[in-house]
Amino acid sequence: MTTEIHTLVGAYVLDAVDDIERASFERHLRECDSCRLEVDEFRETTAQMAHDTWSVPPPWLRDNVMSEISRTRQAPPVIPEAPAAPPVRGVSRRRWLVSAAAVVVAAAGAGSAVYVVQDQRVRDQRQIAEAARVDQARVRQILAAPDVVLNEQPVSSGGRVTVASSRLHNAGVVLLAADAAPAGRVYQLWTIRGGGDPVNAGVLADGQSADVVVVEGLPGASDVAVSLEPPGGSAQPTSTPVADVKLT
Amino acid sequence: MAERGASRRPEHLAAVPDSGAPPPADAGELLREVARGDEKAFGRLYDLVAPRVYGLIRRVLRDPAQAEEVAQEALVEVWRSAARFDPARGSATSWIFTIAHRRAVDRVRSEQAASERTIRAGVASVDTPYDAVADEVSGRLERQQVRRCLEDLTELQRQAVTLAYYQGHSYPRVAELLGTPLPTVKTRMRDGLIRLRDCMGTGVSA
Ligand SMILES: [Zn+2]
Repeated sequence: MTTEIHTLVGAYVLDAVDDIERASFERHLRECDSCRLEVDEFRETTAQMAHDTWSVPPPWLRDNVMSEISRTRQAPPVIPEAPAAPPVRGVSRRRWLVSAAAVVVAAAGAGSAVYVVQDQRVRDQRQIAEAARVDQARVRQILAAPDVVLNEQPVSSGGRVTVASSRLHNAGVVLLAADAAPAGRVYQLWTIRGGGDPVNAGVLADGQSADVVVVEGLPGASDVAVSLEPPGGSAQPTSTPVADVKLT
Repeated sequence: MAERGASRRPEHLAAVPDSGAPPPADAGELLREVARGDEKAFGRLYDLVAPRVYGLIRRVLRDPAQAEEVAQEALVEVWRSAARFDPARGSATSWIFTIAHRRAVDRVRSEQAASERTIRAGVASVDTPYDAVADEVSGRLERQQVRRCLEDLTELQRQAVTLAYYQGHSYPRVAELLGTPLPTVKTRMRDGLIRLRDCMGTGVSA
């Protein structure tokens, strides 16, 4: 790893980075004590800057917030360990999805060499590392395509999903950065084409709320949707999607 | 206003248990109670932080209606993830403002993405940090300190930090607005924050 990434600490605390840089920097924070300390200190500094913005909210905001929290379930204290193995269905796809998760770091473009995500779901680290190298190149290729089209949608439960799609490469990259899923639910990605049934494009692990997925053939699809499903995912969405990105 | 408050809760009733204004609250303490699902504690936390959460979001978004919406999202997020607050990493207020700022920036970016091509970068769109929200009354001392410390920065540090924090711009955008190379902007953000930190005193909590 180069020293380059340390210099991102200011931009990171100021929320002046994009989602990919943020994911990359957060990985870095796990192994860099000095950056972690600096982040904590800078957060206290920016909190002081927030004091400077004091403004009386409209009185009804309190009622709205209080009534919303009374029907909002709280997230558990720690992110639960992911189950040892996903259900049988789509094992190879699962592997592919995990390797794509590794790409979120690798593709971060902080000028650093490839480094492999420590992922508890990953058994075969070496194989994943290989796959990550391949996928990293693919992600970069798609994002750098001259005809890349970006679509972005908020996730109704909090967060965003961004889809980068390139006809030239006949592929797309889906970047999900959502709030934690409710207990007992996981995020699942879908593609929809020509009025047909949604097709599984990847299931996130329990407790996982951010991912980068390469979808080959994506430009033929009309939508990328995200839904909350039971752990392991579903064959078809069992709930109203929390995001539906129309691909134009 | 003070009169109305006084008539609502006469002096001699002040000692009735659990009836009126609670004792001065500590955000960290309240957040711990909120993490256990205590809605009443959340109400008190709201009273303590909502003006700053709303004010910060409004500063970034500029539009009061949108600020209200995003403030609600942020405050509900505080409720939802209260159990994930780690006091070892910093104060409760800074944790809460981090959530609020992030939400505001997400919103401003998605707005920008929608209208990016019509925006022309230029000096005119660069604001001083003090121009926008002028109608508040509290926190004078803290503000003075923040301002004094901000004025202590170099021009480039100050612009880099405030364009990002108060206006929600990404660092590439800040670089564009200031006509400064990317690595310089990254560095100015960091050393600007270092200088602010040293000026304000590290680890200050509310
Ligand atoms: Zn570091």
